[in-house]
Amino acid sequence: MHRLWKEFSKGLWKELPPFRVLLGLCPTLAVTSSAENGLGMGLAVVFVLTLSNLIVSLLRKMIPPKVRIACFILIAASLVVTVELLMQAYVYPLYQTLGIFVPLIVVNCLILGRAEAFASKNPVLPSVADALGMGLGFTLSLTFLGGIRELLGNGTVFGVPMTWDSFQPLSIMVQAPGAFLALGLILAAMNAFSNWYSRRHEETPPRALEAITSCSSLGAEPMVVLNGDDANGNGNGANGR
Amino acid sequence: MRPFTPLLTVSCAPHVHCGRTTRSMMLETLVVLIPTVILAVINYGLPALRVMALAGASAVAVEALCARIMERENETDDLHGLLTGLLLAFLLPASAPWWLVVAGSAACIILGKAIFGGIGGSPLCAPCVGWAVLSISWPELMDTELTLLSANFAAPLHQLKHFGFMAVEDMPLLDALLGRQIGGLGAVQVLPLLLAGLWLMIRGHIKPLIPVGFFLGVILASLCFHLPGPDEYAPPLFHLVTGGTVLAAFFLATDNGSSPVFPIGVLLYGLLAGVMLILIRVWGVYPDGAPFAVLLANLAAPLLDRIRPHPFGTRKEAA
Repeated sequence: MHRLWKEFSKGLWKELPPFRVLLGLCPTLAVTSSAENGLGMGLAVVFVLTLSNLIVSLLRKMIPPKVRIACFILIAASLVVTVELLMQAYVYPLYQTLGIFVPLIVVNCLILGRAEAFASKNPVLPSVADALGMGLGFTLSLTFLGGIRELLGNGTVFGVPMTWDSFQPLSIMVQAPGAFLALGLILAAMNAFSNWYSRRHEETPPRALEAITSCSSLGAEPMVVLNGDDANGNGNGANGR
Repeated sequence: MRPFTPLLTVSCAPHVHCGRTTRSMMLETLVVLIPTVILAVINYGLPALRVMALAGASAVAVEALCARIMERENETDDLHGLLTGLLLAFLLPASAPWWLVVAGSAACIILGKAIFGGIGGSPLCAPCVGWAVLSISWPELMDTELTLLSANFAAPLHQLKHFGFMAVEDMPLLDALLGRQIGGLGAVQVLPLLLAGLWLMIRGHIKPLIPVGFFLGVILASLCFHLPGPDEYAPPLFHLVTGGTVLAAFFLATDNGSSPVFPIGVLLYGLLAGVMLILIRVWGVYPDGAPFAVLLANLAAPLLDRIRPHPFGTRKEAA
């Protein structure tokens, strides 16, 4: 039980996907123009990630190491098509807003990264816990980023007006540059907070870079692990540094 | 026991200092900008003074606040913050509401300077960053033609954009030189800006190749449009004396932290900014995109800095 909680909770702060290990940045930047979009995208990713980790973990003994990436992509692609059809059926307006970024979940580093780094080496229950934690962290981050951008750029959060009447929205925040500005400022704020926290508790600060290397020591960095001979991927850990 | 006093004191270089500091350079720039400020007040009245004072004051205040929050040494006395605020004010319309000015100054200092580690650390020209944030966010308030309806000047670049060169052909260029045109409140005071820029160039405060490259780029690019279609596209001289060309060439593009270092790169940087300015004016959405042109050139500066001189004593193949 303790192990499951550990795997679940690491995705919430220590290896928070978009803000700590900077995985899955494409949807993070592109679709967070409102809190609702962020939440919808996050939930779609939670669905795909959980089922993909579950299936990969179930099949981990059967998948030949040399073609594992293709197998992971195949599993993720099937799940994404499911999500796409479900969204078309039940939340069509959201599907239209998210557009191309729903099919693009297939190539989201987060899905492939968790399958490669975790689910292919661990039993089913920890894999699901890991996926739920990572997915929840991703959803919360996207909703938070979307909320901030929507509040500053439109004066609303989830469509509810939150500002005074004469407020002139800073509409750069809901446009493309605002995504980069907001993400950069959030990363800076998180590093500042970690520094402050670890200074109080006299620990070494967990930086984004260290989170990446700790992640890749498990054998992650799916974008670099391209030669099939390197079965456990540990040789590529140094690429994260 | 007496302290040990050596015969010779050895210290690190430099041993001789010419006395030029950041503060003195910024002070000199501010002083040579005074005629521009005066002409802006003459042309646009007290609202212009209000905008400039507010922008300078809020930039310094925000910088001091940032230094406090980031636990850095407070360096507002090097006057760079004040100069940044003043240059931002030069790009704003004189009718800008107070919160627009304050938001612009805050964006300049926070996004253009403080988060990159203070003066010299920013890859972008700080006043341009503030201007870009404002003009993307509140285009209707930053549109100088819409907000300055009461002024009885011509708006050459807007008319050029909407009606072609025929509409502004008979506009006297002397009027434009003396700032009797609609645009950013200081950017259009072309004559004093030109003199101030030349003074700084002679004194060696700015790299001379940047304005040279900039004007060359503007002239070449506008000739490319003007020669085939003289009715529609304006000649080079028109582009040089309208809008923010001179301000961008002498004061925005020459920001030391965000421009290249080596001569060839510097010249290319100026050319790029000048050509971009004309392209934005001809094909872009904005009537005068001088700060955008400078920002784009800023982004190319690290690449241009890779064109560096051959190191002394190494072989050509090795480099």
